[in-house]
Amino acid sequence: MDIIGKFGEIVGNQSLTNPERARKLLLAGYRLQEKKLELLPDRRLPESGKYAAKIVMQGMIKALANPEKAAMISIFVPGELLRAAGLAPYSVEALSCFLTGTKCEQICLAQTEKEGFPETMCSYHRIFLGASLTDLAPRPKCILYTNLACDGNMMTFPYLQEKYQVPGFYVDVPFEKNREAVLYVADQLREARVFLEEVTGREISEEALKTAVSNSSRAGACYRKQLTLRKTKNPPTTLTNELYALFMCHLISGSEEAVKYTRLLLQDVERTPEGDGLRILWMHMMPFMQEPAQEAFNFASDVHLCGCDFIRDGFREMDPEHPYQAMAEKMVYSIYNGSVDQRIQETIDQARLVDADGVIVFTHWGCKSTAGASTLIKKEMEAAGFPTMILDGDGCNPANNTDGQTSTRLGAFLEMLREERSPRGERQSAGRAEG
Amino acid sequence: MIYYVCKYTPIELFAGFGEECQVLESMPENFDLSDQVAHGNLCGFGKSVIQAILQDGVKELVLVNCCDCMRRVYDIVKSTGKCEFLYMLDLPHEDRECEARRFAGSIARLKKAYESYSGKTFDRKAFFQAFRKKTESKDPYIGILGVRVSDVLERTIRDSLRMEVQNLTCVSGRNPETTGKELKAALEAEGEDALYLAYARGLLAQMPCFRMNHTGQRNKMYLDPNLRGVIYHTIKFCDYYGFEYAAVKREISVPILKIETDFTSQSAGQLSTRVEAFAETIQGPENPGRGGTPVLNEERRERMKTGNYYVAGIDSGSTSTDVVILNQDREIVSSRIIPTGGGAMVSAEKSLELALEQANIAREDIVCIVTTGYGRAYINSGDDSITEITCHAKGAHYLNPNVRTIIDIGGQDIKAIRVDGEGAVKNFLMNDKCAAGTGRFMEMMARTLGLTLEEISVKGLDWKENIVISSMCTVFAESEVVSLVAQNKSVPDIIHGLDNSVAAKVSALTARLGKEQEYMLTGGVARNQGIIRALEEKLGEKLYICEEAQICGALGAALFALEKCGE
Repeated sequence: MDIIGKFGEIVGNQSLTNPERARKLLLAGYRLQEKKLELLPDRRLPESGKYAAKIVMQGMIKALANPEKAAMISIFVPGELLRAAGLAPYSVEALSCFLTGTKCEQICLAQTEKEGFPETMCSYHRIFLGASLTDLAPRPKCILYTNLACDGNMMTFPYLQEKYQVPGFYVDVPFEKNREAVLYVADQLREARVFLEEVTGREISEEALKTAVSNSSRAGACYRKQLTLRKTKNPPTTLTNELYALFMCHLISGSEEAVKYTRLLLQDVERTPEGDGLRILWMHMMPFMQEPAQEAFNFASDVHLCGCDFIRDGFREMDPEHPYQAMAEKMVYSIYNGSVDQRIQETIDQARLVDADGVIVFTHWGCKSTAGASTLIKKEMEAAGFPTMILDGDGCNPANNTDGQTSTRLGAFLEMLREERSPRGERQSAGRAEG
Repeated sequence: MIYYVCKYTPIELFAGFGEECQVLESMPENFDLSDQVAHGNLCGFGKSVIQAILQDGVKELVLVNCCDCMRRVYDIVKSTGKCEFLYMLDLPHEDRECEARRFAGSIARLKKAYESYSGKTFDRKAFFQAFRKKTESKDPYIGILGVRVSDVLERTIRDSLRMEVQNLTCVSGRNPETTGKELKAALEAEGEDALYLAYARGLLAQMPCFRMNHTGQRNKMYLDPNLRGVIYHTIKFCDYYGFEYAAVKREISVPILKIETDFTSQSAGQLSTRVEAFAETIQGPENPGRGGTPVLNEERRERMKTGNYYVAGIDSGSTSTDVVILNQDREIVSSRIIPTGGGAMVSAEKSLELALEQANIAREDIVCIVTTGYGRAYINSGDDSITEITCHAKGAHYLNPNVRTIIDIGGQDIKAIRVDGEGAVKNFLMNDKCAAGTGRFMEMMARTLGLTLEEISVKGLDWKENIVISSMCTVFAESEVVSLVAQNKSVPDIIHGLDNSVAAKVSALTARLGKEQEYMLTGGVARNQGIIRALEEKLGEKLYICEEAQICGALGAALFALEKCGE
C-alpha cells in the first residue's frame, strides 16, 4: 500500500475511536504537505499552479486548525463576505477533495451508509457529512449556505447546523434571473453581514467589503483576460490544479491571494509558447484522483485543458461600489442557477473563444443538476460545432468510478478529435461521442 | 387540462380560467422515451414526467423548481417543444414574509402567462369557490410518508393493509391554509397585490415539503398519536426523502417500513412482500397470512385426531425452493433444497415430493401447508401464505430462542430482521433492488473468477494482501475484479476483498436496524466461510449458524402451519 493510502487508513481508523487524534494527525499531514509545497513544489507546474496549491492548502489548514475562527459554507456563499468578516471558510467540495486526496473518504462514506443517507447523494456531500459524523470535521464557528447550486446543500447544512448547534445563515437564490431577484439576494447578504458581525463580535466595515469585492473584480478581469489567450497558449496543468482555481474564485474570492493567483496565471499563459495540442473545454468538477483522467490531462503536451465552465463562472468583474448587489449578481446570474440555457450559451462562447476541439461534460455521481443538463448540453454544443462527450464518474469517490471505462471513453474521444483535426477530418460538423 | 406536480402550485387559479387541474404522477411501465433524451441518473419521477410528455401527449404543464431534478426536467421538456403551455413556478425555500412577497409575484406572473397563452378571462368568483378545506380523520391510520406514491402504489399498499391509510406525500398532502373567503376579503380591503400575498402565505403555510429550509414541523406527521405505522416511500436518485428517512427512523415510535421504487409500475408491483410483512408486524402475529385461518377439511381433521400428522412449509426463493416437513410434535422429519428452476409452482411441487419421499410419508399425511418466499403467491398447493420475513423470525426463534437479529442473505436480497423473545418481528430492513451484497453477487463473482460457489466460500480465507473492492455495484465490481486479475493479484486476496465488501454492505444494513445480540445468519450465504468471518469482524459479534440456516424460512412457514392446525 502506498504512503498516502496507509496514512488515510490510520486517520480513518483513528476517527472511529479518537476523532481528536485523527484530526491532529490529518492536520499534521497537511502541514507536512504545505512545507513540501513551499520547499519542494512540483517543478512541472507553472508559478500560478505552485502558488494555488500552497494557498489552498494553507486555507484548509487554517480552517481545520482554528475551527472557532472558521465558517463551514456551501461553495457559492460569497467568499468576499467571509474575507471581510475575518473568518476562514471551508466548503463541502474543498474538504471532501482533501479527504479524498489523503484517502480518508471511504471511512466517511461508510459512516453515512450506517446513518442511512442515500447512496445516490452527491459524494462531496456524503464525504463531508461522514467527516462530521466521525468528528473528523471540527465544529465550526458558524454555518452559511445557499440553495445554489445543489440540493445537497439543503440537506447537509440544516443537518449539520442541528448537529453542531452553531449559528447558521441561509441565502435563498431564486430560480428566476431578474433585477428583483438580485435585490432580494442583496438584502439577504446585508442580513448575512449582520449575522456575521453578531457571530464574530466584530464589525465588518463597508471599506473591507468593498476591498474584497474589488479584489474579486480584479481577479475576474485578469482571469478573463488570460482566457482570451488560451486558444494557442496553454501552460501545463493538472486536474488538481484546475480544482484549486475553482476554490480561488469562490472560497478564497475577495482575497489578495486570489488577485495574485490570477496575475501569475496571466503571466504564465503569456509566457507559454504556442502549442497545438487538442483544446478541451471541461464542464463541472474534475475527477482529480482518477488515474485515466490524470494520464490524459496532467502535464499533457498534446491535450490542453483550456478552460472550465465552473471556474469561468466564478471569475467575474464586479462593481466594488455596490458590493451587495455585485455579490448578489454573481449568485443570481451564475450559470448554475436557473434554466440551463445560459450555461449552454456561455459555454458555447467560451468554446468559440478558445476554438475548442472538444468539450467534456463530467457528470459527477449524484449531481442531478449537471447529469440532467448533460444531454441538452451535448446536443446544443454539437449543434454549435463542438464535439461533446458526457463522462460519467465521481469527483471524489473512487467506488463510483471505473478506470477501464473512463480510459476507453476518454481515449476514444481524444482519438476522435485528433482524427477530426487531421487533414482527412475537416471539422465541419460535430462528432458523435456517446458518453 | 392543466397538469401539475407540486402541492405549492396555485391550482385554484386555473379554476378561475375554467380549467381543470390534474396531478401528473402516474408510474409508466418503463422510461424508454425519457431515456432517449435524458440522463439515466435523474430520479424516476422526473423521468416519468418526461415520459408522460413524450408518450401521453401532456400539453399544459406547470412545474415548480422543487429540486435539481425538476429544474432539469423543465429544461428537457422545454427542449422537446411538445408542451404548448409549460411554466416553471419559482418557489422560495423559506416561508417568511419576504419570501411570501416573492412568491406572490411568482403566482401573479403565472396567472398573467396563462392569460396571455389561453386568451381566457379570469373569473374571480370561480377562483374563490375553488378552495376546499380537507377534513381530518381522527381514526387510527397508517401514514404513507416520503416522496409521492402513484395510484398503483397506493392501491398496493391499501390492498395489503386492513387499516385506514392516509397518503400524506407530496401533492396528496396539499392543503392550503387559506380560503376563498379570506382571499376575497384581502382583495376588497387592499387590492390585488394583497390577494396574491394572502394566497402565497396560505400555500407556504402548508406542511413544509422536505426541500424547504425549515422542515422541523414535519415531525408532526410522524408523531401524530393516531398514527399506527408509517410506510415511507423513497425514489431512487431522489435524495431528499432518503435523507429525511434517516431522521424519521431515529425519532419515530411506531413501526416504519421503507420502500424504494424507481417509479415504474413494475417496481410498485414488487413491493407487496414488504408491505404484507409490515401489515403482519402491525396487525399482530395472530393470523398473519393473507388467507386467514385455513379451513381444514373433514379428512384432515380426522387425520389430526389420530395424533400422528404432518405439516409442511415451502419457501420459494429466487435461487432455491426449500421444504420442511414437521410432525405434530414440532420435530423436523424431512427437509429438501432444490434450485428454483422451472417456475415457483413446479419447483414447489417437486421439492415437496422429494421431502415426502425422504420422510417416507404420503401427501395425504400433510394436513396443512404454508408457503413463503418470493414465489409464494404463485403456489396453489399452500393453505396459506406468509412473508418470508415473518417466517424467518419464526424459524430462527425455533432454532435458537436467544436470537434477536437475523441476517438473511438470500439470492437476490439481504434482510436484517429484529425479532423479540417470542419470535415475532419487531422491525426489519431490506436492501433495495440491487444485487450488491447478495448471493447473486457472489455467484457472479465466482463465475468471473472461474470458481464454484464452494470454492469461493473458502478460498478467501488464505489471503495475504488486503485488497479493497470499492465498487459495490455488481456490474462495476465485476470489471474491478477483472482488472485485479489482469494485475496478477492472487485469487484468495481478491475473494477476501469481495468477502469484505459484502460484509460492509450487510453490516451497514444491520447497523441501521440497531445492534442487538444474538445474531443469526440464514440463507444460502450462511455456507460461505469467508463471508461469515468477514461479517463477524465487521459486526464485532459472533454469528449463530446452524445446519438448518438455509431452511429457516421454510421451517418458519411449517411452524405457522402447525399453529394453524391448533386454531
